[in-house]
Amino acid sequence: MQAPTFSSIQTGHEFEPMTQSYAQAAIDRYALGSLDMNPVHTNIEWAARAQVFGLPETVGHGMMTMSTMTSVVTRAWGAVNRNGGRVRYVDSKFTKPVKVGELVTATAKVKRKHHHGSGKNWVLIAVEARDSQGDLVGLSDVGYQLPD
Amino acid sequence: MPYPERLNQYVETEKQRHFPKDFMIGWENYETWEDASVGQSGPAQRVFKITAEDIVSYNRACGETDPLMVDADYAAKHSPTGELLQHPIFVTAIAFYSLGEQGIGTWIRTPGARNPHQHIEIFEPFRYGEDITTTVTTHDKFTQRGKPYIYMKLDFHNGQGVLKARWLCSLILPPSRADVARFANA
Repeated sequence: MQAPTFSSIQTGHEFEPMTQSYAQAAIDRYALGSLDMNPVHTNIEWAARAQVFGLPETVGHGMMTMSTMTSVVTRAWGAVNRNGGRVRYVDSKFTKPVKVGELVTATAKVKRKHHHGSGKNWVLIAVEARDSQGDLVGLSDVGYQLPD
Repeated sequence: MPYPERLNQYVETEKQRHFPKDFMIGWENYETWEDASVGQSGPAQRVFKITAEDIVSYNRACGETDPLMVDADYAAKHSPTGELLQHPIFVTAIAFYSLGEQGIGTWIRTPGARNPHQHIEIFEPFRYGEDITTTVTTHDKFTQRGKPYIYMKLDFHNGQGVLKARWLCSLILPPSRADVARFANA
């Protein structure tokens, strides 16, 4: 895994899309991994009664969607890279709850190059996540520092 | 309404074994939107010691299979840090563990809450053995289109005082304890 250099990367560069399952087992695993045990994600009977999102079922964690939207970048370039590349920040907005059983597909492309000087240059990567109906479930900006 | 027992099959770390996983117990003590005061700040309830198993568990939960992220022995030989690479959103686990069940920011556990927006900055990777203290500051609260939003700033420092990451965390909350009760008792 190798991040590109700042000088070689072009705006419009597209990442390999990735698809993630939001089956209940995957949501359960995320609940344990993140320690976010909110019952809207894990308690099927309670979620049916409470209908927090107007849905009688559990939903995936927003932070799980944020993780999916980050992974589409880090699976290509790494969270931290041997050549000095790394994720600086992730900013995510959530536009629709992800219903249990969904498949979420994340796509990403380089939107801007920030020329901050040698060793400090970074790119802004725009990420979208959509459910199996094609509806937008999340949007992210990922700031990624690249070697010169 | 107990915590679903089927989740026990996924418990794989020491913290997960002992963490109070039923968010419906003690909800009466969670900070509410009405209680929260902008500018109030303090340490979170618990310190999070970074271990390889915490990192592997979060990475696996995100579906990662790269041995740099899930195989500590492989990562020791091949990772640019000499340790497992953390998923950038790993701070989620640190925050939920550290905030605990009483005090500032415990609204993160609120039944009936919705997640509109999150912003996470990573300054440097966490390292095995670091004791991470979380400082919680109520950053903002406002209403928009009739919905009560709340933001807190979480600063994650290691034992040497180095700021490792920052999370500007927000939720749309049931505003009052009575509103939370309606969800808790659903």
